[in-house]
Amino acid sequence: MFIAKLAWRNIWRNKRRSLIVIFSIVVGVSSSLINDSYGVGIMNQMVDNLIKSHDSNVQIHKSGFRENKKVGDVIPNSTQITSIVKQLENINGYTERVICFGLISSAANSSGVSIVGLKPELEKNVTDIHKKIVDGRYLSFGRNEIVISKKVAEKLEVEIGDKVVAVASDINGNVSSQMFRVVGIYRSGIAEYDNINVYVPLLDAQEMLNIGDNIHEIAISIPDYRKSSELKNHILAEFDKKNIDNQLYEVKTFQEIMPMMMAFLDVYHQWSYIIYLIIGIAVLFGVVNTMLMTVMERINEFGVIMSIGIRRGKLVRMIIYESLFMGLIGTITGFIVGLLIYYPMSIYGIDMSKFSESMASFGLPNLIYPELNINVVINTLLIIPLVTMIAGIFPAIKAIRLQPSEAVRFV
Amino acid sequence: MEILKVENVTKEYSSNGVTVRALFDINLKFEQGEFTVIAGPSGSGKTTLLNIIGSLDKPTFGTVYFLGEDLSKKSKSELSDMRLNKIGFIFQAYNLIPVLTNLENVEFPLMLLGVSAKDRKERAMKVMEELNIADLANKRPNSVSGGQQQRVAVARAIVHSPILVLADEPTANLDSKSASSLLDLMEKMNAEKNITFIFSSHDKNVIDRAKRLILLKDGMVVQDEIK
Repeated sequence: MFIAKLAWRNIWRNKRRSLIVIFSIVVGVSSSLINDSYGVGIMNQMVDNLIKSHDSNVQIHKSGFRENKKVGDVIPNSTQITSIVKQLENINGYTERVICFGLISSAANSSGVSIVGLKPELEKNVTDIHKKIVDGRYLSFGRNEIVISKKVAEKLEVEIGDKVVAVASDINGNVSSQMFRVVGIYRSGIAEYDNINVYVPLLDAQEMLNIGDNIHEIAISIPDYRKSSELKNHILAEFDKKNIDNQLYEVKTFQEIMPMMMAFLDVYHQWSYIIYLIIGIAVLFGVVNTMLMTVMERINEFGVIMSIGIRRGKLVRMIIYESLFMGLIGTITGFIVGLLIYYPMSIYGIDMSKFSESMASFGLPNLIYPELNINVVINTLLIIPLVTMIAGIFPAIKAIRLQPSEAVRFV
Repeated sequence: MEILKVENVTKEYSSNGVTVRALFDINLKFEQGEFTVIAGPSGSGKTTLLNIIGSLDKPTFGTVYFLGEDLSKKSKSELSDMRLNKIGFIFQAYNLIPVLTNLENVEFPLMLLGVSAKDRKERAMKVMEELNIADLANKRPNSVSGGQQQRVAVARAIVHSPILVLADEPTANLDSKSASSLLDLMEKMNAEKNITFIFSSHDKNVIDRAKRLILLKDGMVVQDEIK
């Protein structure tokens, strides 16, 4: 305690110098907190947007469907599989889909699309396209309704109430067509989906493809995407319990469906550690420099306390405490400053509408909400104090190498 | 009782290939309760001898025995512990820690010894009262006079009841009145607590009050006189 008290007072001997070091730590900590929370916000919003716009957390298909998208690759025993999914605990919901590629035409134009047949009441528990309707409404229980993206609507030059014709190959390879009326126009904010996905009632899609009551996809949503693998394993275990042949099915997590996205997340995490490293090194040199100056100025004093009989360990501890205290003051102040900047941004978001085109191509909305997760807090609160402790070691070694008889005469 | 024996001690310093002999073949013995001055002109080796006696430096040749133990056989940590427990130091420039109050400066050796906060405060205050500096307890060293700082330094040197106090020119920075007062104080501690004092000094007032005078010249003992 006495050593700590002495160390605390020592850092205020030269207030201006200590405050400059502390200020540099404050800037480093607050900027890394804002930078990291912004990055986490972007990543989470990107993942969340992709999951909620279409991909969901876990998808079940017939084996090979994702690769070939053949109309005939419907889920075997879909009723039994659906009943297993219905029993799952801790899920937001599930939905059944029919998916095929086709052509959609208006009087003015045509566009290649992915026609997604769905049950709107189920789909609402999995995706939030119904919240992204910019004109008209979402699908209801009616027939021959279609929801298209704003981009497709502009291409086809159609508005709410206009008719479009969808054409696709049915299960027998015959060309099948069906007329739909546009009831809603959406904008997901994800260019990949806005360019291609159109939504129709499940029954219409099944009828058009002549696949009876079969489906191509069961999509499941859970609250935390990081638990997707856990859910997948649970489903496969349920299959085993009910003697269902796993080989017939593909159960894929979001991470497996979007490997590029996950690689992107990994790269981001690595990058954030590099940022911490850069900030850490900058702080390290600043603190080492200051502590070395402090030690050099107090050689005589170290000589005296070594003469009195201080053990080297205590002397090392005192110097490390000094740098640690500066690190703690800087970190806590920087954290508070960072929070004060972060808090309004997390509520009102950061407007990135100037870059909306490129943001959309990454599945990002115009408003980014920084997120402070536990990793950001731990990284911020631990790394800099740790670095400042390390920064104290070199000057401390310098101090304990002093010869008391020479140090005590040093002027 | 003999507490210290310096046997054939020689100290040489090398710098840029030149060897300088600071002490040559010193042989001395000290009894408990002595009040000894090591005198001599500047460069005669007084401080070097005190440093070697206090285990702050090592002789090039020869041996120092403190309480019968050969100091050359002790590790750095053992020497630190020995100084902390058995020896007190007083320096010419007082060398108090400026960020601590006078009371905390006096407490410092007790803190290193692991004495509880309550006990060390009591003991430090008691010593400060004995030295008539209790009123300076909560002041910082730089807010009191040189003479008062040196009294605080004496209190720090004796607070842990050492056997030996080594004082390197303790009156050099003091006016004659303060120097005389400080010597009175140290004589009192010597008489009352039987603490052995060894000074280095070339101050005539100090030399006159010593019970034993060791005179050094060019690193050699030229006189060792018990008054």
